[in-house]
Amino acid sequence: MSADEELVETTVGSDLDADGIAALLGEAVLDREEHLNAPGFVIRPDAVQEVLTKLRDEAGFDHLSCVTAQQYTDRYESIYHLTSYDDRQREVSVVVPTDPERPVSQSAEPVFRTADWHEREAYDLVGIEYEGHPDLRRILLPQTWQGHPLSLEYHQDKPQIVTLDAHKNPLEADHRGNSETMFLNIGPHHPATHGVLHLKAVLDGEQVADVEPDIGYLHRCEEQMCQAGTYRHQIMPYPDRWDYISAGLLNEWAYARAAEDLADLEVPEYAQVIRTMSAELCRIASHLLAMGTFALDVNGDFTAAFMYAITDRERVQDILEDLTGQRMMFNYFRLGGVAWDLPEPREEFFGKIRDFLDHLPGAAEEYHNLITRNEVFQLRCVDTGYLSPEVAKSYGCTGAVARASGIDYDLRRDDPYGYYDELDWEVITEDGCDNYARLLVRMREVEQSARIIEQCVDLLEDWPEDDREIQSNVPRTLKPDEDAEIYRAVEGAKGELGIYIRSDGTDKPARFKIRSPCFSNLQALPAIAEGEYIPDLIAALGSLDIVLGEVDR
Amino acid sequence: MTPTFTPLQNDAVLLPERLVDLLGLGEFGVAGEVVAAFLGAFLVANLMMAMTGVAGPWAKRKITAAFTDRIAVNRVGPFGLLIIVADAVRLLSKELIIPDGVDRPAWDLAPILIASTALLGFAVIPMGSGIHLADPEVGLVFVFAVASMTSVGLVMAGYASNNKYSFLGGMRAVAQNLAYEIPLIVVAVSVVIFAGTLQMSEIVAAQAEPLLVIAGVTIPAWYAFVNPFAFVLFVAANMMEIGRNPFDTPEAPTEIVAGYQTEYSSVYFVLVFLGEFLHIFLGGAIIATLFLGGPAGPVLPGIVWFLIKIWAVFLFTQWLRSALPRFRIDQLIEVGWKGLLVLSFANLILTAIIVGVIA
Repeated sequence: MSADEELVETTVGSDLDADGIAALLGEAVLDREEHLNAPGFVIRPDAVQEVLTKLRDEAGFDHLSCVTAQQYTDRYESIYHLTSYDDRQREVSVVVPTDPERPVSQSAEPVFRTADWHEREAYDLVGIEYEGHPDLRRILLPQTWQGHPLSLEYHQDKPQIVTLDAHKNPLEADHRGNSETMFLNIGPHHPATHGVLHLKAVLDGEQVADVEPDIGYLHRCEEQMCQAGTYRHQIMPYPDRWDYISAGLLNEWAYARAAEDLADLEVPEYAQVIRTMSAELCRIASHLLAMGTFALDVNGDFTAAFMYAITDRERVQDILEDLTGQRMMFNYFRLGGVAWDLPEPREEFFGKIRDFLDHLPGAAEEYHNLITRNEVFQLRCVDTGYLSPEVAKSYGCTGAVARASGIDYDLRRDDPYGYYDELDWEVITEDGCDNYARLLVRMREVEQSARIIEQCVDLLEDWPEDDREIQSNVPRTLKPDEDAEIYRAVEGAKGELGIYIRSDGTDKPARFKIRSPCFSNLQALPAIAEGEYIPDLIAALGSLDIVLGEVDR
Repeated sequence: MTPTFTPLQNDAVLLPERLVDLLGLGEFGVAGEVVAAFLGAFLVANLMMAMTGVAGPWAKRKITAAFTDRIAVNRVGPFGLLIIVADAVRLLSKELIIPDGVDRPAWDLAPILIASTALLGFAVIPMGSGIHLADPEVGLVFVFAVASMTSVGLVMAGYASNNKYSFLGGMRAVAQNLAYEIPLIVVAVSVVIFAGTLQMSEIVAAQAEPLLVIAGVTIPAWYAFVNPFAFVLFVAANMMEIGRNPFDTPEAPTEIVAGYQTEYSSVYFVLVFLGEFLHIFLGGAIIATLFLGGPAGPVLPGIVWFLIKIWAVFLFTQWLRSALPRFRIDQLIEVGWKGLLVLSFANLILTAIIVGVIA
């Protein structure tokens, strides 16, 4: 009885279908659309906050996964991809069209804090302005950039020459007045920023009074490059370069999943098993590196744990090299399957994987002894870098960061793809909400990934020889239906890695938008680190496990 | 022969004296003694700097590599030993970059101060085999005095560098020094209560007594055996003193880049590092003298035992660096004031009572 009540409690509004939502939103809705992943509601540009608040509070859409901005010949459009942390398969797209002459719509930032950066990016790359946004500046490009690169009027050859004076000197804020606080530039070249990240920190003694991440140093126009490539062949190499730290196959899967659903392609079961196995290998490699670098941040430069983690990651890299021929830029997935079958002799390959899996429990024990069970380490990491579940949800945190804040959210289970729902494994959550919990989640996830891989190897070993279809029959030139739109995500190494694609009937996407989990997770850093000490800021940054290649794209 | 030379000595013969005898400088009177003293200081300083030279570019790498399953330097010379020469040439031939707005001459003096104060401490350390430069009655106080002068160098470096990371490092160094110095000296005082003297040679001599005999093996009364509690406390406080893991907060790479030494390059960088390694060895020398019987040991000559002991302490610091996380600065100060200080006073009082009851 009480269980039933609980069920009712947690599923408030989640029984609403598209018509129900339309009724809820009432006159704010101008039109209805049908996206491949979700119903779309075209709403008035001045009703964004009202609509999103209603959807969040009354319909249970508490996760603003992504904001896609794009320009059509007759309008600008912002799409808010909403879903629910409790039920990932419930999705809704809120489409906000704006006037082409004066592209202004209401900001969603007061409803979802994650909209802050997403809307800044939309403004930066597409040129839509958001009314009521607290800080609408460029985020990826330099502040002096001329034009908005993804807008239709963008003048590609216009010289971007600006005088040096016009560039805001990053040292300008380096005030040395009689202030009680000290401004400190952490990065872009700093041992612990894990790449080219610039943190503008204001210190009060050793404590962090304010911190603001400044990103964009590694922006490589990935979205635009994907828009210039053909679905079938030219896009797949790019995902490897987003989260380039050995998570390549997970990224490739994000594109493969979105494009396959867009073009309605089948993937043979055998290929799905290979995909699942190889993707989990990538996850292990990525988590091992995250653990190692976190130890580096907390322990210091010469910690043995880092080298041990790298050594174990190397074994995974070797396996992936045997499979794909590459160690980082795999380019192994294809639309409709994978590039080639497992390497021969298969027994040797399986033996190598099994050796690694046998080695893993002992290695995990050693890591726990070296890292998590060390009392000094616990002193440093337990209860520092606190991220409450509510704040995490508001910032759209996903992956290990969300799961360490007790949010039971994993796309592999909640929005099943590949072979995951056939296998026996668990979603790991911790409710510590601190740096320690985030590390622990990753370390425990490695064990779960190992379970998945083991089951995949069992399956592959017994797979009948005449049924090893690695790729379905995919047309040479893919031209999805005109105006088909899809937003699909997979559980990447760092969290929900989503791809939005809009087709215009040609063999190249009209809009290709990447929802990077690191982008959203990094955005939560100020909420985590403010009021903490500098070492905890560094530890918090490490525990978020960001890759700047994915943040900046 | 030179009756005015060592008025405080009973029978221990110091290195300058021996040199006077050996080189026949006695006939030159005071001038001869001065030359011998300089010569002795030169030899001791070079011995310690040679240790540092081996430790910095080579041994440290090899030890860390052993802890982290790597090979480390093995290309230049046997076991990569010639990397010492290569690194010396490399470091000294780099450009000395002087950033804008550094506060000279404080900025220039700091590396010299850091290196020289650490070196100065070795003057009163009995190294065995007759290598002992001076043996004043207040030897122990002297060694602590010069060792803690290094902190002044660190603060100077941090403050004069005109760099916020250096500044943070310098401030951390001050806070840390205040937190460790007192426990360190209070623990040392408990040894003084046992030995009844501040003179280094006497402290070493007091440890030569047999403590007990087990199965025919005589265990000497090293204070590490007599009072292991004090030994552990002293080693911990010493790790803070020399600023190594888990107490390396003043440099804390990955947090504040390199702390007070961020802006130093070339020769100054070498000096700062020289100072740090000398400081580790000086810490080892103090531990050896106070707790491990100084240069005492079977079979091998005293100087060899002495070097073995200070290298053991060095190895210990490297072990901790590979294994332990770093404390946060506030936690470190808490450990210093609330933990070490209380324990060291408890140790002092306990020692005083025990010694009082026995004596």
